[in-house]
Amino acid sequence: MADVKLTIAGRPYDLHCEDGQESQLLQLADVVDEKARAMPGGTEVRQLLFAALMLADDAQEAKGKVEKAEPQSDSLRAAVALAESREAAARDELRAAMTREQSALKELETARQASSAAAPSAKPSHDRALLQIADRIEALAAKVEQLP
Amino acid sequence: MELDLDESSLAIGRIERALSRIEKALADRANRPESAVAAPAADQSALKAEVAAVIGELDRLIAEADRG
Repeated sequence: MADVKLTIAGRPYDLHCEDGQESQLLQLADVVDEKARAMPGGTEVRQLLFAALMLADDAQEAKGKVEKAEPQSDSLRAAVALAESREAAARDELRAAMTREQSALKELETARQASSAAAPSAKPSHDRALLQIADRIEALAAKVEQLP
Repeated sequence: MELDLDESSLAIGRIERALSRIEKALADRANRPESAVAAPAADQSALKAEVAAVIGELDRLIAEADRG
């Protein structure tokens, strides 16, 4: 335990506190002393009464500020939660879009393979048609050449 | 239009040569003095029908090739 000597409203007090807490106790005593000295001319009891009332007022005001800040902090928490859920939804949409893109690419590749497999059957038929047309035009040429 | 180069170029070459022959025959015929003997009407209309059929076949082939 540590011994601490305090002076509040001009009167000395000897107190004990946990080791290491001396400076904090001295600081608190300064606050009380400052409040007590703010009401000069009264008795010591009245000075301490006013100091106690003013400190109670300070405490109430601080409590009000905390309560006032709480809704803001709640809104912030709600905004963060909303942003997180939107981010998660966007990530899901992105994943779904990537899946759709991959399946579309697969379909395209399948269609491409099917079309390249079908092409060879179309080509010979075009070639045959061209050769038949060549036969017919040659026959026509022969007829035209034989016209009187 | 995708065609096999060997087969199709062979056919196109034949078509071009046949068209040149027709062109030449028609030019020679136009430059000749009035022929006393005209071609029979039946032959002429058969020839026209064959020309129209060949042109129709070519049109069909081109449209088919355009569609891929």
